[in-house]
Amino acid sequence: MKYSAFAVATAVVFASAGLSAPALATGKMSCEAGPQSGWKTRAELEASLVEQGWTIKKSKVDGGCYEVYGTTPEGDRVEAYFHPVSLEKLLVSRRGEILFRKK
Amino acid sequence: MSILRMLNSLPAFWIILSIPAILLIRGYWTGDIIAMDMLHPTGEFSARFLIVALMITPLSVMFGVRRWTGWLMKRRRSLGLAAFGYAILHLLFYIIDMEALKPILAEFWAPGIWTGWAALLVFVPLAMTSNNVSMRRLKRGWKRLQRLAYIAALLTLAHWLLIHDGLGGALAHFIPLFLLEILRVIITYARRNNMTKQQDSLQTE
Repeated sequence: MKYSAFAVATAVVFASAGLSAPALATGKMSCEAGPQSGWKTRAELEASLVEQGWTIKKSKVDGGCYEVYGTTPEGDRVEAYFHPVSLEKLLVSRRGEILFRKK
Repeated sequence: MSILRMLNSLPAFWIILSIPAILLIRGYWTGDIIAMDMLHPTGEFSARFLIVALMITPLSVMFGVRRWTGWLMKRRRSLGLAAFGYAILHLLFYIIDMEALKPILAEFWAPGIWTGWAALLVFVPLAMTSNNVSMRRLKRGWKRLQRLAYIAALLTLAHWLLIHDGLGGALAHFIPLFLLEILRVIITYARRNNMTKQQDSLQTE
């Protein structure tokens, strides 16, 4: 009885360790923007946002889009998605609450 | 021999528990990690230590009084306090990252945010009474109060699931605890059943 409980506990630990699959794209937004060679750079995007009054904490690629963490000119702390070729604003959300979505 | 005993002491255990925090804070200090990126690891270590602390009781129920369950039991308070410490660090870097009160208030009622605040709120009385004086003063009430740790765990799980992209990390951490708790309930119930059966057979003899 004691051994079976131990076996179960061990199995539980190993099974749960297998569950932690890496999340590459968050699925919140996806962009069909072609090869990266045709993309504008993140530095260009950040520069244009700063010019518009944003402050930026960090940016990265997510789902083929540029994802930016920062504060909007209106003072909202958000995460925002931009198209990597047109740099068009696609989605702005604050902790899951959608503040803007491109129609 | 005395070195082994020293390494196995509670102060040595505290040092081990604080190593992730030291490394993270050093990373922040040298500029390798921005405040925003301190949030996930500090929160994760808080949840980890809370989960390990909560696992100790079901393990003791399953395996009874053994050397290793006693070893864990002796470290349960340290683990709980470490969970609180990392939660405070988590809050601190959240404030540093948000920079001002206005954006913090603006997102307060987002489901992923208020659950975090609530978990921290529940943590406070737990941490404040994690000492021998409180144990003596509160007597039986102490155990009842400390059961709030399960509420803190549920709120932590909700916070993690709601704030993070992807459920994998939160579930990988909480499922072992969840399964252990189920086993604990089954075992406790089976033992109680056994005991009443034995009593019944004694009475009929």
